[in-house]
Amino acid sequence: MITVEQKELEKILEMTKGRGRLLVLGCETCAAMSLAGGKKQAEELAVAIRVGRKQSKEEGEVVADAIARQCEPEFVALIEKEVASFDTVLSLACGAGVQLIAERFPDKVVIPGCNTSFLGVTEKLGVWSERCAGCGNCILDKTGGLCPIARCAKQLFNGPCGGSTNGKCEISKDVDCVWQLIIDRLTRLDRLEALEEIFPVKDWSPAGHGGPRRVVREDLEP
Amino acid sequence: MNAERTSHPEEPAYPPCKSACPILTDAREYIQLIAERKYDEAYAAIRRQNPLPGVCGRICTHPCEAVCKRGQVGEPIAIAALKRFSCDGPRRQPYQAILPEAPTGHAVAVIGSGPAGLSAAHDLALLGHHVTIFETLPVLGGMLRVGVPEYRLPKDVVEQEIQTILDLGIEVKTGVRIGEEITLADLFEKGYGAVFLAVGAHKDRKLGIPGEEALEGVVAAVSFLRGISEGKAPEVGRRVAVIGGGNTAVDSARSALRLGSEAVTMVYRRSKEEMPAAREEIEEAIEEGIEIAYLTSPVEILGTHGRVSGLKCIETALGDADAGGRRSPKPVPGSEFVLDVNMVIAAIGQAPESSCFGDDLEVSAQGNRIVAKDPETLATSIPGVFAGGDAVTGPATAIKAIAAGQRAARAIDLYLKRTSEDASESAGDVRPQEISGPVMEKTRRFARSRPPRVPVRDRLRDFGEVVSVLSEDLATQEALRCLHCHLGARVDQEACVSCLTCVRICPLQIPKANKMGEITIDPVDCQACGMCAMECPVRAIDIRLHSGVEILAQLEEAIGQSRFAGPLIVGFFDLHGTFGVEDLENLRENYPGIVPVTVFGLRRIDTTHMLRAFEFGAAGVFLAACPDDRDPFPETRDRIKRRVAHTAVLTELLGLGKGRVEILEMPDKGLIDEKAIDELIQKIKEIGPSPLRV
Amino acid sequence: MKSGSNLEKILESGQFAVTAECGPPKGTSAMVVQRKGELLKFCCDALNVTDNQTAIVRMSSFSGCVLLKALGVEPVLQMVVRDRNRLALQGDLLGAAALGIHNVLCLSGDHQRFGNHPTAKGVYDIDSIQFIRTVKDMRDEHKFINGEAFSGDAPFYIGAAANPFADPFEFRVTRLAKKVKAGADFIQTQGIFDVAKFAEWMKGVRDRGLHEKTHILAGLIPIKSVGMARYMANNVSGLSVPKQIVDRMADTKDPKEEGVKICLETIEEIMDIEGVHGIHIMAVAWEDIVPRIVEEAGLMPRPVV
Repeated sequence: MITVEQKELEKILEMTKGRGRLLVLGCETCAAMSLAGGKKQAEELAVAIRVGRKQSKEEGEVVADAIARQCEPEFVALIEKEVASFDTVLSLACGAGVQLIAERFPDKVVIPGCNTSFLGVTEKLGVWSERCAGCGNCILDKTGGLCPIARCAKQLFNGPCGGSTNGKCEISKDVDCVWQLIIDRLTRLDRLEALEEIFPVKDWSPAGHGGPRRVVREDLEP
Repeated sequence: MNAERTSHPEEPAYPPCKSACPILTDAREYIQLIAERKYDEAYAAIRRQNPLPGVCGRICTHPCEAVCKRGQVGEPIAIAALKRFSCDGPRRQPYQAILPEAPTGHAVAVIGSGPAGLSAAHDLALLGHHVTIFETLPVLGGMLRVGVPEYRLPKDVVEQEIQTILDLGIEVKTGVRIGEEITLADLFEKGYGAVFLAVGAHKDRKLGIPGEEALEGVVAAVSFLRGISEGKAPEVGRRVAVIGGGNTAVDSARSALRLGSEAVTMVYRRSKEEMPAAREEIEEAIEEGIEIAYLTSPVEILGTHGRVSGLKCIETALGDADAGGRRSPKPVPGSEFVLDVNMVIAAIGQAPESSCFGDDLEVSAQGNRIVAKDPETLATSIPGVFAGGDAVTGPATAIKAIAAGQRAARAIDLYLKRTSEDASESAGDVRPQEISGPVMEKTRRFARSRPPRVPVRDRLRDFGEVVSVLSEDLATQEALRCLHCHLGARVDQEACVSCLTCVRICPLQIPKANKMGEITIDPVDCQACGMCAMECPVRAIDIRLHSGVEILAQLEEAIGQSRFAGPLIVGFFDLHGTFGVEDLENLRENYPGIVPVTVFGLRRIDTTHMLRAFEFGAAGVFLAACPDDRDPFPETRDRIKRRVAHTAVLTELLGLGKGRVEILEMPDKGLIDEKAIDELIQKIKEIGPSPLRV
Repeated sequence: MKSGSNLEKILESGQFAVTAECGPPKGTSAMVVQRKGELLKFCCDALNVTDNQTAIVRMSSFSGCVLLKALGVEPVLQMVVRDRNRLALQGDLLGAAALGIHNVLCLSGDHQRFGNHPTAKGVYDIDSIQFIRTVKDMRDEHKFINGEAFSGDAPFYIGAAANPFADPFEFRVTRLAKKVKAGADFIQTQGIFDVAKFAEWMKGVRDRGLHEKTHILAGLIPIKSVGMARYMANNVSGLSVPKQIVDRMADTKDPKEEGVKICLETIEEIMDIEGVHGIHIMAVAWEDIVPRIVEEAGLMPRPVV
């Protein structure tokens, strides 16, 4: 899932100040699963903004709603009439969702209520960690299912570096050295010799360094 | 609250208590109202369905308690005691009776004024029919009045409830025996459109052993008990044997003690497990010193000078089951012995007086019971004549008689109106509803409240009531032990996004996800704590007990009603605290600035609720937490504290100032710690009034 | 000869090499580099100029190397992959060859988080081992990473770092093997305090025959104070400082002397280990002490080849 985190309330209040009729729009997929931008969070934020506005005697209704995914044009189309009656949309979706909303409603002020972080997994309730950097060319078969691009602080392909200590990365004791994990995993699978080979340099274009990416499935495209 | 059928495919239609009750009482309704300290509403909820709540609260056999799900994790809810509390507890307003419909022009004769007759008369009167009760005895109430001893059911309780029923405009003719002076045919000629035979079973069965007829000191239980009810204290022997194992036998035994017997022995031919009397009755009898000789059958009553001098008995052993399904007792040869008694009371069963109604009325060979040809309508072999209660079933329970009376009233109403549409509820689903093992283990136990009882040494002096009503604290605590069957969480699969938050947050670990992400919440396990409904990020979970929407409405109403000009402070009080309705009244009087909102657990209060309070104009909000040992889900307290802290941070960031949101601990007894409240009020005053209040 | 550098000549002739480190200034003063160069000219065979060490912005290693060369001191150009992508790295190498800089040390670099610009984007376009291979292919094939040929020679003597004390210990020899396979001609290790552990690592190195494929220079860090000892023990990942060293520094009345003593003892023990072909002295902010250490270790004068 894409993990998002709600921005600080002060920042949200600052961004929405003086913005008239405001729709706080949640997204019921990744943002909801991140417990940051679902309907519940949209409602809570709407009440908070209303209280803030009443406090500062600011006019402008604040309403909360949510759609299944803000990254799908069909779902965004369903709220066209609704959005028309607002001046500003505070979107709690990931960056992709916010942008589709802005694209669809170019005459409305669209504000991001969340920061989008990473592609990750849930460790337990309330804790998520990064797993995938979206590099466009998955090498997990070679590294025992552990990604050095997403999880090595230096994105080494022939790690570990000299800073790995006790299985932890030099940047923090709370971060596992993924190369330690890879060595352990390949040892367990009796495939450690694979690491004797030198991993060739990476083509970073599918990772986004070749420009903004797009996937076209010719077999599916209408 | 509606007693509703749910659309969940696996959810049983009714909670177990309702399924087991002959009149389909939904005990959840009044139990919840008691927990909410709404005693007037609790009484009204019962009374709407049951015309004799005070009677039932004392003598009902409470089949509901036997199936109560709480019984799987501790002792079942003391439902009957709570029913009594609804009647006798601190009510503030008199009950507003339902008014009868417009007169239909029909007249119905109800023969017999026991529970069957009374409930039939009550319902028929409400439906607009003119009802006349014919009763042979000079007093009304049937066995309630002349059978059940007063230490179980005081006269004035019976008389008061009967009067309320009669106040619907029911005509009464006592001292009249239908079948003798007036026949059934006479009644129809007089203009009655239908007759309900509810004559009960007052004829004692004979023992059929030598000595029964000839000797003095042999009495039949019904006439013995009736005599006591009439105020004539019959003579009792120094040593008494009571033959039988039903409630009548126990009543006779305990009454004999109170009349002065020194030793009373019950003689019962089967074992303790088969004894049909109510468990509590047997326990109290044993407490009072009554001996019970199980697996003992009477053989002969011995006499000297024409008086009882002993009872010859034989031991029995249980053989195979008889036609009725009970194991039949077989005498053990050579095991005779003699009980040293000078009085024998025969309490081995009663039959109805049915021969007086003529040959057209079909009567069964078994004890002359009146046959109800149609069990649904209780119609007899004579058109227009219906029958129900002990007269049809043989000696049974009051609640079954009430059920029969209600059924007969419906049937008679349809009969008179010549229709067959029946809009009544159908019987419950009696499938067992078993809580799963892991949930059982995690469910917190609380002790069952016991009503105060007179100590044994003081009981036997007279026929004063042994059991009194539960105190308010004990009653509310007991009501809070309810597991709220089928009022729990339901997932809207369309809205659910399979985020697994509910799976992770449930204190009983009930929601389960399949690999497609579909969440199921077992309705039998769920105890309606509200955590999942609260935390679901897409609001896909609906909780039927005290939902977030209800709480918001409560909150809005409560603030709207306040006339206080100063700063309003909303207090969310956990109903699990130990406080009474008077504490709430005192709070409102002494602290008019506090707006109390009572909730089934603070876990139902979310940040949004607290912020809404501010939006509605509150200057401060506090959550009052019940003492730790009263909380059924203590593991949720940490999360609640974090919600409050989060809300406090938000309110500060919103410019409302610091310190407007707090969590307080309720004292062990009472609603609030006055010092803490005074401090809070002072603090809020210092921060300033709500900038949002118009 | 691959590059003809002084360091190469000394190592290839089987002599014990001495290299040291020169930290460039956090400023534009050429004199700082020149002074260090003068100081260390005669006591080492080549002098490393660090490259934004510990992710702190300093005068570039490249310019430091140019300044040293002008003084007649043989430089070792350190290049971290943290700060440059493959275009800049290859471009700088062409420039280094043009300017007669032959020794190149290929490094990952400490994570930018530790430095004075922690919010910077780390480049890491290629890693240190891929970089070693790149330098080798430029020297031996005259080709860029993309296979394209370039004109002229690129005679480099390729160095890499090794850390016997990092985890996982079992993998460290394999890592060295990879660097050697990629083309590392010489190795400079992390500073050694735990000689026993170093010796264990060297055994593994010898078991794989790596000591014959590459020249290993043992790293040394002279300690100035007990504070420095403690800092290195607790805060620098990848350094193993045994407790008795810290205690010695704590108990002594003359920390600098003790530091020198420890360093000399270490050198003596290390020189006995088979496969060690030199030392690399990293006298952080204490370059002045290096001549004395080399002298007292009996390694003066430096051979002229």
